[in-house]
Amino acid sequence: MIPLIILLAFLLAGCEKLESVFIEEDLLQRPQAKRCMDCHADIYEEWKESRHYHAWTSEQFKIESENYSKLKCLPCHAPHQVDPDKKPVLRAEFKADGVSCVACHFKEETKSMHGPLKVWSPPHPSKKDLAYVRSNFCAGCHQETFKEWRRSGTIKTCQSCHMPDLGKKDLIQKFPYYLFHLSKPRSSHRFPSLKAKPEDLRFELKDNVLYITNYRIPHNLPTADQGDPRLYIIARVYYRNGKVRTVRKLLSAQSKQVLAFREPFPLKLPKGEIEEVRVRVLRKLAWKKEKDLIGEFRIPSPSHARGGQSTQGGGPQ
Amino acid sequence: MRVLRGFALLVLAGGLAFGENKVILKKPPKSLHKYYPPKSKNFEFLNNMYIMSTSFFGINLNINEGNWKGALEWANRLRDTYKKTSRMVPEWKKYFKPALADDLVKAVKSKNVDKVIKASKKLGQTCASCHRDNEIAVKLVYHYPSFDNLKLEDPVEFMEVKVGKYMEKMTNSLKALRIYLTQGQKDMAQEAGTNFAERVRGLRAMCSKCHTDKASEEIYMGKNLESALTKLEELLSAEKLDQKAIFSTLDRISMTCAKCHNVHLVPAMVQEALAK
Repeated sequence: MIPLIILLAFLLAGCEKLESVFIEEDLLQRPQAKRCMDCHADIYEEWKESRHYHAWTSEQFKIESENYSKLKCLPCHAPHQVDPDKKPVLRAEFKADGVSCVACHFKEETKSMHGPLKVWSPPHPSKKDLAYVRSNFCAGCHQETFKEWRRSGTIKTCQSCHMPDLGKKDLIQKFPYYLFHLSKPRSSHRFPSLKAKPEDLRFELKDNVLYITNYRIPHNLPTADQGDPRLYIIARVYYRNGKVRTVRKLLSAQSKQVLAFREPFPLKLPKGEIEEVRVRVLRKLAWKKEKDLIGEFRIPSPSHARGGQSTQGGGPQ
Repeated sequence: MRVLRGFALLVLAGGLAFGENKVILKKPPKSLHKYYPPKSKNFEFLNNMYIMSTSFFGINLNINEGNWKGALEWANRLRDTYKKTSRMVPEWKKYFKPALADDLVKAVKSKNVDKVIKASKKLGQTCASCHRDNEIAVKLVYHYPSFDNLKLEDPVEFMEVKVGKYMEKMTNSLKALRIYLTQGQKDMAQEAGTNFAERVRGLRAMCSKCHTDKASEEIYMGKNLESALTKLEELLSAEKLDQKAIFSTLDRISMTCAKCHNVHLVPAMVQEALAK
């Protein structure tokens, strides 16, 4: 039976007119995300775990947008169509889907689903579109982060980190369509927020100033357009005379105090002969109440560590 | 021209209820709440005010140009909106006199300017009466941001606190700086001053909720403020504290405080009072 279906499919694939027989018209009418799940179950499940899924319904967003009355905030939380470098307009339908499947993949101009792969998809026309692998695809909404990324001069794209490669996987799970498709390279639709690792940060203690550098993450830490994620720095300063002082610093995108990529952030420490600084770095995502520990570090004073020489770095504890 | 003067009276009639040595603001009724954010984003009640105001002027404009047909269309629109609005807030029903809206339509139909002026005045007085009693309170409650439910994270203690508490902490660190400076306690002054600067910067997280574009950001926390804060930090980290320079820098910073307070503080205080 299956070989027969495959044979039939090959015959049909050669005939453009017959291909249109398989078009499911409602897919070209900007359906709800759950309609896409009929075929793309795995991607749908990934997306449901993402912040894009929660973009509209998030309690935090409801509060911050004053029950959706701050109109300026709304388009990026339920975009009609996501295009590179362009701020989207607000979608009229199914806003609860947030940044949905059709928002990113359906294009009014071609009335087809766009994506980074060339695929044969009888239920809807598809177009290969390399815009999906470039960072500026995200720039319409993530404007500030995109600018920060561009300043960093890094080659890695937004997608490299926030849509990590999952290897070759089936794009569809629906019978019998999945029988006609080979596995394709797939990227995660969980859009992970990610957390800085201890080795992403570097410390240098010089003249009672602790310089903290975001060494490996090619955008600000924390980064946001309108959200308010935060980074907490708690430095316990140990002095030669036995005194201990604590210096706290709250960094946030909104207060414009951040760890920019490879720009040392100076944390001034109280005067005195410092023996060692112990630093805890924590972060809080915009939609979370809890703080997560990024790392704990011990930074000896340059003179203490190397007989008066400057000390680079500062290892995790 | 006579018609125009008649309408001008309506505009001037808005205001407050004055008593001897006091100004009285009435609390807006609960049923109005549903026509403003966060309950509604459509400002239904306010929009009706605009429709009625425009309709009044539409009658005036068309009559002055001899277009009675156009005037009648606006009169009908005014009557319909007036009646619709009269049902929206039951507590304010007494202000509305729908028969007067019918009278204005009849007056326009009669094409008699004197009758139109008379009917307009009578109807306009019902608007003015409601505006006099309620307009300012409504504007203060619904047209200014509420700070009541906002929370800010204190960058010194890493605690979320309400805006009032945050302001108290910020001004206390400012006062502590002044006190320690005056008393010559350098270390303590440095710490208090640094905390003050951090707390001022931390306000951005609150202001940026509404001031989302670069131009307004420059007004509330622009280069002048940031350079003053940086200057303060420089002065505080010096070997010898320059009291005069520090006080002068604090004056620069306080200009921003005054600017924001002038816009937001009084409405916020009135809102708080009306919410009690």
